[in-house]
Amino acid sequence: MNGAVLAFALRRAAATLALLLALSLLVFALLYLAPGDVARNLLGTRNVTPEALARIRELHHLDEPFLAQYWWWLSHAVTGDFGTSIRTGGQVGPLLLDRTGVTAATAGLAFLLSVLAGVPAGIATAVRRGRPLDRVIVAASVVGVSAPGFAVGLILLYVFALGLGWFPVYGTGEGFLDALWHLVLPAVALAFGLGAFVVKLTRAAVIRELDQDYVTFARGRGLSERRVLRLVLRNAAIPIVTSLGLMVAYLFGGTVLIEVTFALPGLGSLMEESVLFKDIPVVQALTLVVALVVSVTALAVDLSYLAIDPRVRARAVRR
Amino acid sequence: MAETDERGLHTRRGFLRTAVTGMTVLSAAALLEACGAAPSSPAGSKASSGSAAAGTDTGKEIEVLRVSLPGSLSNLYPGQESGILNYYVAGICMEGLVGVDTTGKIVPALASSFERTSPTTYVYRLRPDARFHDGTPVTADDVLHSIEMARDAKVSPATAAYWANLKKAEKTGDAEITLTAKAADVAFAWLPSNADALWIAPKAAWQNAKSGFGSPQSLPVGTGPYKVTGFVPDSYVEFSRVDTWHGSRPRIAKIRFEFVPDENTRLLAWKAGKADMALNVPLAQSRQWEGASGTRVVYAPDRSYAGLTFNTKAAPFDDVHVRRAVAHAVNRQAIVDKILRGRGQVATALSTPEQFGGLWTPQEAAQRLAAVPQYAYDLEKAKQELAQSKVPNGFSASLSYPNTGPHLGTAAQAFAADLKKIGITLEVKELPIEQWLAELNEFPPLSYMWYFNTTGDPGELATWFLGEGNPAKYANDTIAATMAKATAEADPEKRAGLLIEAQTAQAADLAYLPLWWGQAATAFGSAIGVKDYTSYTLLADWPGQVYAAK
Repeated sequence: MNGAVLAFALRRAAATLALLLALSLLVFALLYLAPGDVARNLLGTRNVTPEALARIRELHHLDEPFLAQYWWWLSHAVTGDFGTSIRTGGQVGPLLLDRTGVTAATAGLAFLLSVLAGVPAGIATAVRRGRPLDRVIVAASVVGVSAPGFAVGLILLYVFALGLGWFPVYGTGEGFLDALWHLVLPAVALAFGLGAFVVKLTRAAVIRELDQDYVTFARGRGLSERRVLRLVLRNAAIPIVTSLGLMVAYLFGGTVLIEVTFALPGLGSLMEESVLFKDIPVVQALTLVVALVVSVTALAVDLSYLAIDPRVRARAVRR
Repeated sequence: MAETDERGLHTRRGFLRTAVTGMTVLSAAALLEACGAAPSSPAGSKASSGSAAAGTDTGKEIEVLRVSLPGSLSNLYPGQESGILNYYVAGICMEGLVGVDTTGKIVPALASSFERTSPTTYVYRLRPDARFHDGTPVTADDVLHSIEMARDAKVSPATAAYWANLKKAEKTGDAEITLTAKAADVAFAWLPSNADALWIAPKAAWQNAKSGFGSPQSLPVGTGPYKVTGFVPDSYVEFSRVDTWHGSRPRIAKIRFEFVPDENTRLLAWKAGKADMALNVPLAQSRQWEGASGTRVVYAPDRSYAGLTFNTKAAPFDDVHVRRAVAHAVNRQAIVDKILRGRGQVATALSTPEQFGGLWTPQEAAQRLAAVPQYAYDLEKAKQELAQSKVPNGFSASLSYPNTGPHLGTAAQAFAADLKKIGITLEVKELPIEQWLAELNEFPPLSYMWYFNTTGDPGELATWFLGEGNPAKYANDTIAATMAKATAEADPEKRAGLLIEAQTAQAADLAYLPLWWGQAATAFGSAIGVKDYTSYTLLADWPGQVYAAK
């Protein structure tokens, strides 16, 4: 079975590589086509001759044909050289590394919060379907799903940072505990929408299972509600885990706005600035990092099916 | 020498703001109508700026000054990233051969003295006691290398082009540098200043900069009163006072700039007492800032110019009557009073009054610039001009503005309403700053110019706008001759006179319609006072002007 799993993982890795390649070409093309001129972005409205603008484009190979530019980038990228950021003048590698921590911590904390709060709430509402608790939580989760993260962030800031003074307004803090304290509000703001999403998903998955014949049968056989729930949860786990995997991609999108609101020096704020500036080397590297994280998560989700569902395990062995 | 002052910050709130601006637009247009009869008096500033000085100077040390910035710096070397905030921050750490004082005059910095020995030759003598933050003495080689780096488009993409007029830079003595210009030009004197294009660092620091000089991996080393002790882009940059500086010791031990891109978060943080000083408070929020407790919002001219540029080679603006019709339909006084809320001045020329520093006071300069002929707000005259043009029945045109300047959009909507009355349909559209800048490359028939002068050279914008390669594709032999004379003129007063003469001649042709000279708002907490707060203070040795107030 291990051999089968390995082959599966290898196939997925190859597919991921192909995906990354296609994605890098696509994003490169989009940035190439996007309006804006990098040389002008560096120079603003100042008085410069067309020659000076041309010189800057030449330095960054922007005067070459599209495919030559892409090839120039790709041939360096495969050796691990992601080039120099046009906007900051610094190497892309260290630039990304410096910022990964904040984003990973914020997103990780938000993910944890939304799962720890969302899954139990979802189960509770499913079990108490139609009762007041269900109604309240479902209503709250509709608000959560529809409220934009930055607006939630501002409200949290107003109440908990300015009004009550429990949390800092922005920034990262120093030392582990201080940093954690600084990340609470951003993580809660990010987890708010995500958690609501988890509640709705979990509720739907659990309800679907509760309506299955095997539940009626188990209850008929006199199994305790606790044991019935265990059966139900195991069956509901696959859709829940699948959607949690998808949420990782959503999380990254959310950090862009949250990081701007809370002035956090993470990948999200870097992405925002770099895309607008047409800082191709940074955007390319960032896209690949995000795509890689999403692909790895998807792989982990698929592998988790093996652990969760014996039927999948059996199929994997047969292959 | 100029830059859009804020990084392009596009948040979701940007969209909300646009929506809000859209509503303001309606009321602004209505207001302008109501003010239709208002005379368009030139250069009337009603800006009631609060004073930056406050209370009494306690003479105490300030342990840390917290300054809140509206956007992040991504690099501390202005040769790489050159927003006006980059200049303000870099200036406390790195010096040029010369600098600027609070009146806008060129003053010695790393050079103890300087002299213009011929129209094209400038001789600088280095301070014998000058040391870098790492303790090494400043040598002529360091200076020459820094100039070489400043001219290198790879290291200094933002400023390399400024050095085009430099013929050679050479060591003419142990501690003497001579710069030779290709052509005589008074503006050349600004080049080796940290308000323009030179920041001096040790040769070794440039050579060891592995990852872009000024980036967090290669922090800048300079000779200024403060050295960088921490820099995290999108978060903060921190400076500590040094003992190596040759000037008088500032009272602030540490300065910490916090980057807060979201304007609502910044206001909340200010209200929570997280900063002592906030730069470039947005105009749209100024009332809320003014209302915060213990806060003084001080307005000072930022030497910015906002105006319309007509492409004189593109129809229909190749017709002077069309340009005049537009000019008569723009109520500039109402824009300044209602949209800028008095935080600006009606611009009568391309040069801003503050750029005649060392020669005239801003008030004197404003008076002289008011002598440039103006086009009063008069819709009847606008109609008459249009009737004489090639398009007597009107036409359609479009005008875009950058999202970082929502007030430009509001103003455009306001005069679009007036233009509509004389038959001109103006489509106003907002563009991301990056896209707006790219559009300027294409010489649109009608465009906005939003330009921030950094130097105190009154010819900074005029030399470009009235010279070759100007954005209006404008050519006038008489003006070209006057500008050539101005460039060669060594006497500042005569030169200023020639510059005004050229702008007066331009006003007749109306390739450019100046709209307003802007102001920047800075918020101060009650514990902080600043002496001599002018348009130039933040480019000069500003920490030396800050005191603890009681």
